[in-house]
Amino acid sequence: MERKVNFNINGKKVDLNIDSRELLVDVIRDHITLKGTRIGCDTSNCGACTVIVNGKAVKSCTMLGVQADGKEIITIEGITQGEELHPIQKAFMERHGMQCGYCTSGMIMTAYWLLSNRKNPSDEEIKRYFSGNLCRCTGYQDIIDSVRHASELMHSEEEKIVVEQR
Amino acid sequence: MRSEKEMVTGRMQYIDDIVMDGMLHMTVVRSPYSFAKINAIRGGLNHTDFNSEMKSFGEGETGEETGPGETMFAGSHAFYAGQPVAAVFGKTKYESEDNADSVEVDYEPLKPIMNLNDSLKLGPVHGSMKSNVLKRTLLGKEFSIADSHIDLSDSFMMERIATNPIEGRGLVCHYDDNKLNVWISGQSMHSIKSGLCGTLNLPPDRVRVFHVDTGGAFGLKGGMYPEYAIAGFASMKYGKPVKWIETRREHLMASKPGRGVRGDITISARKDGKILGLKGKVLVDAGAFGGSIAEFSPRFIGYQITGPYAIGNVYVDAQALVTNKPPQGPYRGAGRPEASFLMERMIDRLADETGLDPVDIRLTNAATEPFKTPTGMTIPESRSFLQDAIRELGYRNFRKPERPGFSFFALLPASSPGEGARIRCSEGKVKVWLGGNTHGQGHEFFVKSLLSTEFRIDPGLITLEYADTDMLEKGEGSWGSRSAMVGGNAIIELARRIIKRIEKEEGHYAPEILLDGEYDEQDFVSYKKTLISYGANLVTADVDTYGNVHVKECRSYYDVGRALVPHMVRGQIIGGCMQGIGQTLYEEISYSEDGTLLTGSISDAGLPTAEKIPEFTVKYAENPSEFPHGAKGLGESPTIGVPTALARAIELASGKRIRNTPVRPDYLIG
Ligand code: FES
Ligand code: FES
Repeated sequence: MERKVNFNINGKKVDLNIDSRELLVDVIRDHITLKGTRIGCDTSNCGACTVIVNGKAVKSCTMLGVQADGKEIITIEGITQGEELHPIQKAFMERHGMQCGYCTSGMIMTAYWLLSNRKNPSDEEIKRYFSGNLCRCTGYQDIIDSVRHASELMHSEEEKIVVEQR
Repeated sequence: MRSEKEMVTGRMQYIDDIVMDGMLHMTVVRSPYSFAKINAIRGGLNHTDFNSEMKSFGEGETGEETGPGETMFAGSHAFYAGQPVAAVFGKTKYESEDNADSVEVDYEPLKPIMNLNDSLKLGPVHGSMKSNVLKRTLLGKEFSIADSHIDLSDSFMMERIATNPIEGRGLVCHYDDNKLNVWISGQSMHSIKSGLCGTLNLPPDRVRVFHVDTGGAFGLKGGMYPEYAIAGFASMKYGKPVKWIETRREHLMASKPGRGVRGDITISARKDGKILGLKGKVLVDAGAFGGSIAEFSPRFIGYQITGPYAIGNVYVDAQALVTNKPPQGPYRGAGRPEASFLMERMIDRLADETGLDPVDIRLTNAATEPFKTPTGMTIPESRSFLQDAIRELGYRNFRKPERPGFSFFALLPASSPGEGARIRCSEGKVKVWLGGNTHGQGHEFFVKSLLSTEFRIDPGLITLEYADTDMLEKGEGSWGSRSAMVGGNAIIELARRIIKRIEKEEGHYAPEILLDGEYDEQDFVSYKKTLISYGANLVTADVDTYGNVHVKECRSYYDVGRALVPHMVRGQIIGGCMQGIGQTLYEEISYSEDGTLLTGSISDAGLPTAEKIPEFTVKYAENPSEFPHGAKGLGESPTIGVPTALARAIELASGKRIRNTPVRPDYLIG
């Protein structure tokens, strides 16, 4: 059944007609054609499809597109400012938090959520927050290091802003 | 190739991101039964439309396969749960999934063979065979030892596991202007091309295969599968682009899992720990068909069973047995971890029997000079590496009651037969094509680093292009710890040819001449030897009262020859260690006796999560190889060394003999 939905994705309003059974991940990838959100499983285990919905990390394969009606969504494409990378993205590059890159969008979006809740997460907290994101390549160590490094980069950026404001 | 920046911004282009005008999505209808007679199929594309047999499977292929090979669709019988029976199509993936309901199949379930014992005992699955023995090889020579003090026998099983890259298999086929163009997530474009030519009966100039960004593979994506040929056939039949993307469930039921190996081993030794002989039976769960790596696996395991040790008498009876499961495939290590597990477990057992330190037994048996094993493998001297490893891994610093598991192994990379490459310099840029295709190992890093040194130019001028069978005539593939080694060797060789040519034409070489000119070299640079290297691991673990294993530390010490890109070396090692831990503790594809697949999700399959990681220590020796870049194989080392060291650590912590992987909690507290 066709349904009309509208939501805000990466700061832009979209109006769409979608089939009511379509998963949010398919709506994002196939209707809005933002392909950075990945699909890695069919049982909501892998986290490759993680996006932010109303401020919380959500596996976009666990939600129907129609359930996102009226909500605010951020995907991997929405965290860069023009060509300026988000500190989390910089941190993943500097600490090589990926090999094949397939899990990376989901990892970065989970990090985005974690670091907006916890400024200085411990390694144990990082591991816990990431327990729903699978990576087959890295053995997670470089991902955890990247997230820790990202929290440092975000601190120093905040300090920079404070200094500039003074 | 896209690289790290594209990865962090979501701009990689994986196979599922490709969209073409008029593209059809394909859904495969599969047998739910592990063994069944098919009385009728109505609907969909099926074996009455397309009925050719598997050709070309990449890794482990010898050209001497006898089969029986898999047909692209099941015909009179379905031989494993998940075998393609029909294919349907739709304009969207939802529509194509809906269309699966239109296919009706009349199955008559039969009693399947789901384990090696039944395979040996019961009559043949295939009417064309006399028994279920698909392949049998005898390695070494029969022997008897009069003066041995100890004879020990034991039996081990490594269950089947799925490769489980986070991106499954997938491709897009577009038959256009008499040519089948294929974009695919993969490890070897040339192997896929010959598989498509063979199954679709097309000459080589009518098939072109392109690599796209690939989300991991670990052996999965090296060769041909029925779904690839079916998608190609459909694109030719319907004149439209056809896309097939594997679901995780399909991956678990119908991709080719690795391992599935049993070993019954007897060693004869003296009281001082010197092993005088090894006899073994190696049984490989081949799955339902030959014409796959299963025909090669038993022989490969038997060949290298004694690893880095000089053991004078060896006799192995190695067999591949047919079962009603999907054909066996390579999984990171592909025979190497299996061989090492059998040897290393017996050494630890011998230590317990003699009261000697297991590491001292390894020292006693390590080769003090190059040694040719009775199975025909020649290993370099190994004792000095072992001595270094014991020191570097800090083995002797542990004090009772803390005792770590320790492993020592020989890595036999698939360096033979070499690799194809092409270098083209034009308009001030250097473009490179390689026969082995990256799926997360960062080939672009070593290509840039090696060629900027050879040509003395800025690495920013060098790009590794997506593989494309029309741009490179001959190529092998990325597997068997080979790419940096033989791919690296090939591009250095070609670069030097270009430099020589410039020297001849211009009197001398200078980077400016290269960048101002037009040069194009391609060749398959052969290398026929197996360049063995050594490695060792140390692992510590606790077992709690529920039988859960907590891996505390995982230390690695490998001879990498030369670390071409240090962060990739470290990343490959840690990632591989985690896969080794996964195999040992959690991973398995399991079936009920009646052939029902019990592993329903990627979590059931046992992929470890971030919470499970131990403290990793990565060290490496750099004893340069004979290649100009000095590098040796690496990618499979951790999956060889970690399961054996971890098994010992668990044994020490639990007091239970570890014979099988995965090690289940109920076994440890039972
Ligand atoms: S695709 Fe959503 S969790 Fe795997
Ligand atoms: S980098 Fe390949 S799955 Fe995480």
